[in-house]
Amino acid sequence: MNGSAIERIVIVGGGTAGWMTAAALAHRLQGLPVSITLVESEEIGTVGVGEATVPHIRFFNARLGIDEADFMRRTSATFKLGIEFRNWGRKGDSYIHPFGVFGEEIEGVAFHHLWARFARAGGRDAVEAFSLPVLAARMDRFAHPDSDPESLLSTYSYAYQFDAGLYAAYLRAYAEARGVRRVEGRITAALQHAETGFVDSVVLESGERVAGELFVDCSGFRGLLIEQALHAGYEDWSHWLPCDRAVAVPCRSEAALSPYTRATALDAGWAWRIPLQHRVGNGHVYCSSHISDEAARDALLGQIEGEPIAEPRLLRFTTGRRRKQWDRNVVAIGLAAGFLEPLESTSIHLIQLAIGRLLDHWPDRDWDPFCAREYNRLMDLEYERVRDFLILHYHATERDDTPFWRQVRTMAVPESLAHRLETFRKRGVVVNYRDGMFLDASWIAVYLGQRVIPEAGDPRSEALSDAGLMLRLAAMRDDYARMAAQLPTQAAFLARIGANAS
Amino acid sequence: MPADAPLATITIAGGGFAGWLAASLLARALPDLAISLVEVPGPDRSLGVAAAADVLLPDDLPLLGEAGWNGPDLLRGGRAGFVLGTALSGWRADGATAFMPYGEIGAPLGPIPFHQLVSTMRRRGQPVNMANYALGALAAQAGRFAPPPPGDETVHAALTFGLSIDTARLAEMLRGDALERGVRLAGTWHGEAVQRGDGGVQRLVLADGTSLAADLVIDASGPASPLSGARDDWSPWFPFDRVASARRTSEAPAPPYVHCDAHHAGWQSFAPLADGVGELFVFSSADAPGAPAAEPFAPGCQQAAWTGNVVRIGGAAAQHDPVAGLQLHLALADVLRLIALFPAACEHPAEAAEYNRQWREKTECAFDTALLRLACSGALGAVWDRLRARALPDRAAYRRDLYAANGRVVLHDGEVLEEAGWTALFDALCVQPRKGDALSDALPSAKITAHFAAIRQAMIAAVGRMPPYQALMAQVAA
Repeated sequence: MNGSAIERIVIVGGGTAGWMTAAALAHRLQGLPVSITLVESEEIGTVGVGEATVPHIRFFNARLGIDEADFMRRTSATFKLGIEFRNWGRKGDSYIHPFGVFGEEIEGVAFHHLWARFARAGGRDAVEAFSLPVLAARMDRFAHPDSDPESLLSTYSYAYQFDAGLYAAYLRAYAEARGVRRVEGRITAALQHAETGFVDSVVLESGERVAGELFVDCSGFRGLLIEQALHAGYEDWSHWLPCDRAVAVPCRSEAALSPYTRATALDAGWAWRIPLQHRVGNGHVYCSSHISDEAARDALLGQIEGEPIAEPRLLRFTTGRRRKQWDRNVVAIGLAAGFLEPLESTSIHLIQLAIGRLLDHWPDRDWDPFCAREYNRLMDLEYERVRDFLILHYHATERDDTPFWRQVRTMAVPESLAHRLETFRKRGVVVNYRDGMFLDASWIAVYLGQRVIPEAGDPRSEALSDAGLMLRLAAMRDDYARMAAQLPTQAAFLARIGANAS
Repeated sequence: MPADAPLATITIAGGGFAGWLAASLLARALPDLAISLVEVPGPDRSLGVAAAADVLLPDDLPLLGEAGWNGPDLLRGGRAGFVLGTALSGWRADGATAFMPYGEIGAPLGPIPFHQLVSTMRRRGQPVNMANYALGALAAQAGRFAPPPPGDETVHAALTFGLSIDTARLAEMLRGDALERGVRLAGTWHGEAVQRGDGGVQRLVLADGTSLAADLVIDASGPASPLSGARDDWSPWFPFDRVASARRTSEAPAPPYVHCDAHHAGWQSFAPLADGVGELFVFSSADAPGAPAAEPFAPGCQQAAWTGNVVRIGGAAAQHDPVAGLQLHLALADVLRLIALFPAACEHPAEAAEYNRQWREKTECAFDTALLRLACSGALGAVWDRLRARALPDRAAYRRDLYAANGRVVLHDGEVLEEAGWTALFDALCVQPRKGDALSDALPSAKITAHFAAIRQAMIAAVGRMPPYQALMAQVAA
């Protein structure tokens, strides 16, 4: 260890971000002379809207050595194959953005070009007939993917839907077993170095001081250290993503266990439905200048499937990003770093990414400015790319039935997104970048699902004859349908692997 | 011509390597297109500078394979030699030689990258030569080589190689292929064209007075193209302005790496061919008044590669200082990008915009690669001193400064080097991180040393099982 190594880490705030950070650091720094303290107050609720995840979470759990069945039992988790979007392109539409690909390429031509060729000619086959995870999701079926690339079972990945509060508790037990010290108490002040502004310690209501060298701010929206102490600044993106409130309520589960999350577009926002083993999480994300809190709550309560099991809770937010997610000796993770609505279940992934990047750029007490600079550059890119993907959902719509939809349909979008949309619309090319979590298949799912059909395709696809192509596609479709029908139901699969919550 | 009419005819301007590469790959990918090619008199500068040998990077080989040209064809047609990396002499201030291998160097220890482990050990006073832990460097040193067999899962599978090819010979083979696939050789072009208002071309006027119209014109006529548009000049960054090239034959194949030698007025490289060596001699005319005859060249790039219906590829789009050996890689990337984005209709602003975006990304990354290769060197001479005295452009400076701070590598969308390649470049030129990875620094030396020893032992054993390079090349020749 060099003489200036970080020896005391303080994580401010429990919740999903705080305990994921604590668990990952405890695992990775095991054996080093480092203390990790997490300060949280039971009086302050956690937001816990991030109940649905993306497949990357499996690598986070695997790296920590977490057993899947055990974790699923204790967080009441279900499997997730994708997200169903209802009423987005038009009212009455439904498509699933799966964790997987559509179809197979033929003669080096990407599948979506082949599909679009028939769609332009009036073909009726829905693109979801060519996706195993979508077909399985529609039938509430699930099985683990296969690693054999020849198998159709290798064409998808999966994530989980879980109770974020139980996940935080699960990781808390993991972290505490590995030496993380938890301090209960409300923080009343942050003491900063007079000249540099570096945070030296936080002071609790009890008068106790918790000192450290590196502070991880997981305090949520308000950014107790990153904003209230350091004034890192906030970049407001609400002109592109105008929803600014959410009301959330869990209810009893009345339907089969669906291996997918649902996002239903409403008049001035959208509603989520996240099926867990013991309940269903529901919420309504909306734009307060288009709908009142009461009306938003009523809209939510009017469409949930079962009896509510808690009072509806209201959340306020401003979509955007902290101008510096790492400022001096404070790294903001989770909602303290920025807010992007959970339309594509990105919250937990952004936490996970931040933890990984922090470890990649692990500082020492000399605080080389390059660590923070490169960390911020990379995190900025990730947030921007998620932002663009979310805006796509609102903007690529034909809906004009409410002032809200007219606004988002016609608003100016970031240049980066305008170029992507135009390139796909004209020629079916998916513009993509090295950084950014959503790969080509995700962009294609949303484009096609929201009726952005390329006006022209890859000229190489014209070399294939109509009849030959139709036969190949029909065979593909039959294979997917046959395979999907053979999968067990999710309920049966959970029981088979011993993942049923008691 | 209606804007949405299908794009049916192509004219390629320039019958050098880049032109015939485009002709062959397009004819294979889009057999229904009517492709004509017009030749441009004079030496082949279609890739940028005229070099006797150019290098295909390791990642180029599978791409060419998918496009229809596999390794044996390239070896035979290009009289190629294998390339495991670049040996440098005269590039370091300490006078030492260095080797920049292709492929991974060493292996990570858990989550900690190998070069961070190296950095930790060096700061503890133990000298470590990264090339001692690179399979390609060890194979080159031992004079042994064999491509890993398909499906191989041993250490041998990590052996990463490119090909050095005789550009003129391979162009001949591509030409034969293109003509066989129906590409029409339409005549000779001296540069006369009827322009359109939008930066495009209505028709080319040929030497015999006839006209050739096309929906799309691919300009492969090199940096001095008559179809050139607005251009960015890079000469403030790149002081070398003269190039000479020669092909020498030899009895035995040259060893499987490029040798690059810095001298007081520039640099010289030797690329291995099956039956000789391709030499390139690049220097600053101001610093070598008595130098032998050489051609002038001026690094720079077009502001847009694709304007109207004209796509400029290879040297017609950008002329790089050839120090990083990228000009063949970049021309191939241009052709493959054109095929991937091939327009459906005569008017195609969306395809052109995306092509230009990707091309710009790649061009900027290649610019940084060449510039840092020169600006980080410790070579002796007034021109090198001038080069180092200039402040670098922001993006290139950030790459160097970040690596020098903590050994992190910046990766943008259009990289020609990945993390291992950048590490090899910086390390070979003595750019060393001031600080290491704090988590690497926490490891005991004994653990790192044991990890290093295990890697080296496995690699040396793998190299020992490879045949002598000369024997392999004799087999290829037979």
